Amino acid sequence: ESADPQQTAFALRKAWTLYSVTPLHRFRRSRLSDYARLLSAFIAAEKQKGLAVEVGVELDIKVALSSLAELRGSELDQAALLVQLSSRSRASSKNSEDKLVWSGWFCSMFGDELSENVPENFTCLPLFLTHGAESYTSLVGSWFQKTFDCCFRRLAISPLNLSWMVAMWAGYKLERAASAVELVFSMPCLSQPLDISYAIHPEDAKALWDTVQKTPGEITQGEVDVFMDCLYAHFHRHFKIHLSAAKLVKVSTGIASAHCDGIVKILHSQYLPGVLMLLTELAISQIQ
Amino acid sequence: MDATVAEYIRRTVLKMPKDEIKMMLQKWGFLSEAQLQTLNFHQIKDNISHEVVQLCEENSADIKQAAALDIIYNHIYQNKRMWSVYQMKKSGEEDEYFDIADFKKKFKRRIRSALKNVTITFKEYEDNAIWIRVAWGTPYKKPNQYKPSYVVYHSQTPFIFISASMLKSNLPLLCQALIVASNYHDIREMELRSHSLNSLKDIVFKRYSQNFETYTPKPLQGGNVEPENADIRIIHENGREKERIHRLNQEAFGSGPQPQLEFAQYKLETMFKSGPKMDVLDKKEPFRCLVKFSSPHLLESLKSLAPAGMADAPLSPLLTCIPHKARNYFKIREKKKSFVSP
Repeated sequence: ESADPQQTAFALRKAWTLYSVTPLHRFRRSRLSDYARLLSAFIAAEKQKGLAVEVGVELDIKVALSSLAELRGSELDQAALLVQLSSRSRASSKNSEDKLVWSGWFCSMFGDELSENVPENFTCLPLFLTHGAESYTSLVGSWFQKTFDCCFRRLAISPLNLSWMVAMWAGYKLERAASAVELVFSMPCLSQPLDISYAIHPEDAKALWDTVQKTPGEITQGEVDVFMDCLYAHFHRHFKIHLSAAKLVKVSTGIASAHCDGIVKILHSQYLPGVLMLLTELAISQIQ
Repeated sequence: MDATVAEYIRRTVLKMPKDEIKMMLQKWGFLSEAQLQTLNFHQIKDNISHEVVQLCEENSADIKQAAALDIIYNHIYQNKRMWSVYQMKKSGEEDEYFDIADFKKKFKRRIRSALKNVTITFKEYEDNAIWIRVAWGTPYKKPNQYKPSYVVYHSQTPFIFISASMLKSNLPLLCQALIVASNYHDIREMELRSHSLNSLKDIVFKRYSQNFETYTPKPLQGGNVEPENADIRIIHENGREKERIHRLNQEAFGSGPQPQLEFAQYKLETMFKSGPKMDVLDKKEPFRCLVKFSSPHLLESLKSLAPAGMADAPLSPLLTCIPHKARNYFKIREKKKSFVSP
């Protein structure tokens, strides 16, 4: 089940901003090069109008659309769709390489819950991940909205979901020395804002999770709660502070990291499908 | 004038906010008032810096003057740098008379005996602070003026404040030169770091209002507490709790403004203890954690935790001890259980 590392390498070690997307109407996989051309023209036109805000050197934006057959969960999932914007400075010579300035990809990892229930002519790719300037995200999003009658929304991640992620990821086994399991809390409503970073040695975090999780391969809300309560209790014992009253804003492990503003970084190809499945689920909840 | 000196002066001026350049040049005193009058401070900074360099050229500025200008900038913008605190120890009991000229001579001699390529500059300020700027080179290279170290020393105290940005290998030499010059025999780094130099001074010189253990506050008879927050919806029970928290906070933090620190870091190597009903981890090994608190004004935010309901009162001594233990880096191990023989 592990995807071709070549196909998935682009997804790793980058901070992706997350969106949920409603199903695309009349999207044809066979017309990718047409779409690329149309999107390219759209971007050029918007720049003429002065709406794209890249100051400085004049850039021509080249658009590439590709299908990633490997990036999907079940047969019901659509293959992922990758959009890449590259620039070539007009000033430089013809031989200079294109520079990748923005990438975004649509994805569905075990999104059966959604795809089972849409009419024909609709393509379900509920998760959209972007990396690059906000101005480009805006342009690409506008074009897709106009062309396929879909709707994008930023995907925030609640503290509840963040705690699922950290519990789950803390339990994964990593061969080499991994980075700490870190939880970042924010306490904004004080006279002065306070941030607390609580980082646990990965072996110790995993040892704790292993005693909490009763059935391998299965996680319950109760187990996540116990895990978090243990961490809160250990902290309270030392500092007399109720972390449960603070806002969990970011979690970070050797597998992946996630921020409540809907920003995710995945570090291991082995766990990419698992993380994408979780995010697909969140995206679908937001759509419905 | 040396081209590298000219460039260094130009870059130093560029760092300054436009509306402060005139003031800093005046403090510097190297350019005459007449020369300063010729400068147009309303043009872009790039042009101002070039004009300043031209005037310095007329006066034949050398690296000593350039370094003096850099000290002035860094004294005003001291909070842009991270400062560490060191404490020196004397072998004898007597407080010898401090001779600043002797101090400077011994300091320079000690550094130069190990490394010829250095630029050493001193400046004394009204509050008895001696600022030392050291630009470091190697046996084969001229000093790098862009990464100097700054040392602040109050001669009546054993404390040294250092802002490094230098090769770690030069730190021992710097420390050695300081103890030789000031007639101490040892120096150790304290676990105390901050951007706010004044707050570090407040902490080690004990200039903030602390709680004095001998002072027993009068028990507050309702109605005396925080009148500006008098909320008629708070009933007597909650009112008493608020008073209790307020009193404990005062005892822990004192009633005056807190020294300004930005972070505190705790390396925990204590055992994990699960709650009574939890069937979880029961290892014999420590549960290793690293906890870091950050805030624009850490002690004020910690002080507001209990009143906000986010923490118990009294707050943990691990947090309240920061100012009087003069540290913000801690390593916490499990207390060894003492055996009571039957």
